[in-house]
Amino acid sequence: MIDWLQSVLTLAALGLAALAGVYVAVDRLTDGWLLAYVAVLAAGLVAQLVVGIVLLARTGADVNGLVFVAYLVGLVLVPPLSTFWALGEPSRAGTAVYIVAGLLVPVLLLRLDQIWTAGG
Amino acid sequence: MAERPATGRGPTSTGPGRVLIAVYAVFALAATGRSSVQLLTKLDEAPVSYLLSAGAAAVYIAATVGLARSTAAARRLAQAAIGVEMLGVLAVGTASLLHPGWFADDTVWSGFGAGYGYVPLVLPMAGLAWLVRTRQHR
Repeated sequence: MIDWLQSVLTLAALGLAALAGVYVAVDRLTDGWLLAYVAVLAAGLVAQLVVGIVLLARTGADVNGLVFVAYLVGLVLVPPLSTFWALGEPSRAGTAVYIVAGLLVPVLLLRLDQIWTAGG
Repeated sequence: MAERPATGRGPTSTGPGRVLIAVYAVFALAATGRSSVQLLTKLDEAPVSYLLSAGAAAVYIAATVGLARSTAAARRLAQAAIGVEMLGVLAVGTASLLHPGWFADDTVWSGFGAGYGYVPLVLPMAGLAWLVRTRQHR
């Protein structure tokens, strides 16, 4: 996989967790700024999905394609699903869902990289 | 990240419950995905481990749905699922340390969930605490 893209996405996701943490701490509800940040992260994850599929198609290595694509798609689903769940209740707890999402993405990225590397 | 709650959200799906349900949904998906791949591609390698992981997946799904919905039946489902989850992680965690030979591969609950940052150990405690905390409102 492309290391710099994964690093950027990891930092962006941790940034989301931190930003949502600040929102929760100062009791500020999810607003346009936070949603815009989530949208940027979502765009990055979609870009990674496309790049990942292209790299998978070109690689000669024995990567577990099904699991690899499942992780790529799973990552793309995190922003919309967490947004659905976060906006379902306009409260601190709703916004705190983004902390979970922001911490989940780096874990999935790490597993994605392990699956890619395991293929040699 | 989970089932759409029934109209008139129950107490378990509001406030901190939303965060709890989000984490449960993540584990429901993760355990389901992992155990399906294992059962479909290499069941014969470690059947006990993979069937345990599949059981854990079912427990996480039941807990997610039980917490997200607001009926009395859903609360009983959540109580049963989280109770089984608590016993399961303690039993499998203990067994995996005392009798590693019983398990040919790791499960979600091996070493008390060490492979998942011990979240599988903390999650049922949080779940039970949340069920107790929301009890008087029903």
